[in-house]
Amino acid sequence: MSLVQQLINGLILGHAYALIAIGWTVLLGVARLVNFGHGQMYMIGAFMAWWATAPLGLPYPLAILVAIGAGLLLGLVMQMVMLRLTLEQNLVSIMIVTLGFGHVLRGAAALAFGGTPQILETPLSLVEFEIAGAWITAQDLLIVGAAILVFALLRLVVEHGRLGRTARMVAEDPKLAQLAGINVKRVYLAVFAFEGAAVALAAALVAPRTPILTSIGFEEVIVTFVVVVLGGIGSVMGSYVAGVGLGLFTALFGGFVSPAYTTAAAFAVLIVVLVLRPGGLASARAVR
Amino acid sequence: MPGWRSLALLAAAIAGFFLPQILGGAAYGALVVIALFAVMAYGLDIVLADLGEVSLAHTVFFAAGAYATGLLATRAGFGAWGTLAGAVIAAAVIAALLGLLTLRLREFVFSLVTYAAAVVAAAVAHNWDFLGGSDGIVGIPQFDLSIGPLSLVARNDVEMWPYAYGLLLLVLYLVARFRRSRLGILAVMAHLNPRLATMSGVDIARVRLAVFVLSAPVTALAGWLYAYQRAYVGPDLFETYFLVLMLTAVVLVGRRLLLGPLIGMALVLGQEKFLSFGGDVDAIILGSVLIIVLAFFPGGLAGIWALIFRRRETAAPAAPAAPRPENAT
Repeated sequence: MSLVQQLINGLILGHAYALIAIGWTVLLGVARLVNFGHGQMYMIGAFMAWWATAPLGLPYPLAILVAIGAGLLLGLVMQMVMLRLTLEQNLVSIMIVTLGFGHVLRGAAALAFGGTPQILETPLSLVEFEIAGAWITAQDLLIVGAAILVFALLRLVVEHGRLGRTARMVAEDPKLAQLAGINVKRVYLAVFAFEGAAVALAAALVAPRTPILTSIGFEEVIVTFVVVVLGGIGSVMGSYVAGVGLGLFTALFGGFVSPAYTTAAAFAVLIVVLVLRPGGLASARAVR
Repeated sequence: MPGWRSLALLAAAIAGFFLPQILGGAAYGALVVIALFAVMAYGLDIVLADLGEVSLAHTVFFAAGAYATGLLATRAGFGAWGTLAGAVIAAAVIAALLGLLTLRLREFVFSLVTYAAAVVAAAVAHNWDFLGGSDGIVGIPQFDLSIGPLSLVARNDVEMWPYAYGLLLLVLYLVARFRRSRLGILAVMAHLNPRLATMSGVDIARVRLAVFVLSAPVTALAGWLYAYQRAYVGPDLFETYFLVLMLTAVVLVGRRLLLGPLIGMALVLGQEKFLSFGGDVDAIILGSVLIIVLAFFPGGLAGIWALIFRRRETAAPAAPAAPRPENAT
């Protein structure tokens, strides 16, 4: 493939990455929470979308809504269980608990959906056209459009809206926020519900590109980590730029160096960023 | 009385050795695996319980020990002593690299990098032919620690038990020594009161690096013996199952209890071995136990035990005992 084709490919991939990571960005930036079950939530979202289309026979737009609903519910349940830890700001335990949720979700998905790889076929993925020698599908365009739309909306809400201000106040000082009459628990629940819904939306849109298995989700987690760290922890615009940048890097690396080691290359990027800027974006918040 | 104490410990250690015989011959396999996986968990235990950091890369150290053993035994013809050295060195080197890279990162960024390292290591093991790719390394020779005329060979689980048990005792001794050592005390200090530690002239970053690098070979020791016990090493060693297993064993009974991870591991593996509901349901159970303990019983089983006893003791007076704030993490 030529350079132009890889660049177009990378742009699509990059928007997919940004979309996958957006839940974590909000989680971290707005509520200072983390979720190591993110990848498994992506996997569940993908399976729910597949289940709604293939066995249930729902049209694809409805399947997206089913996946989002499932993700939202999942996020709510997780946060309900962890609420005490969240209020204590016990990040160490939250990390392990979310990891445990990931393990449970994988077991549950294996029980419910079995071990056979599934393909999520959408009407849009059958529509193909050529741009500058690269074949892309309407599904790819949907991913790009949806990513841009979600990021624009989020920027409006989080950085300029009242909702975002409230949530950031909770993140900055939960006790003070409570004194100011904010229902802190509800904010935490809402943020985690958003994380679940966002990753499920990403899964419903991006998963048609690859086979769906219970073991997927790890690559998505690495991508999310890199995007979140690279973009500056919690920054909405930063995540978008980082996502697209990582997509371009991955496409070029996969196309010209080695497709098997793209995850490893993304990890190398993460390490380089952390070593070059350890004080800037990473430790400043964590040391707090 | 320290004399009585060590005598009782010695008696318990000797009694433990005969446990599989008491439980019947079929228990050998299960107990060997419990001993090995407990050793694996102790490496994580000193990082999580003493240092207060969540390392998610300990599956890498476990696999590194096993892979070093497999490679050296099959391709270089090393005996068990040689592979032992190889396993320890491999894990320590990887831990030192990872530790240096994450030296200044704390809390979730540290965990994030270690988790990413584990996922990437699994991808590399799947793809790199040098490590056997997806097929792994087969044909690992039998375990042989013979020194001169002294023959120390293990061909099956029954013969493996003394070595697994011996390794467990060794690691228990090391962990107990560590907790009383200067480094162990500094680790707890850096964990619970980093400001005081810094003011006392303690280099926290160095303490963290030292504990992290020390913990890796402990977990790798389990990988070393596991490679011989299974006679096969493959990328499945990187599975998150091992990570969740280690974490559950460490938190289930209660933190900073010497026998905690061992009992935790015995409970978890006991369920999987004797009360199994199939792999998928077992995964749900394992994950749920981890969640429930951390979310609702941060003191673990020991905490529940203490709670019941305090209730009973304070049942007589009318005034209800004020719940003591649990020291989370």
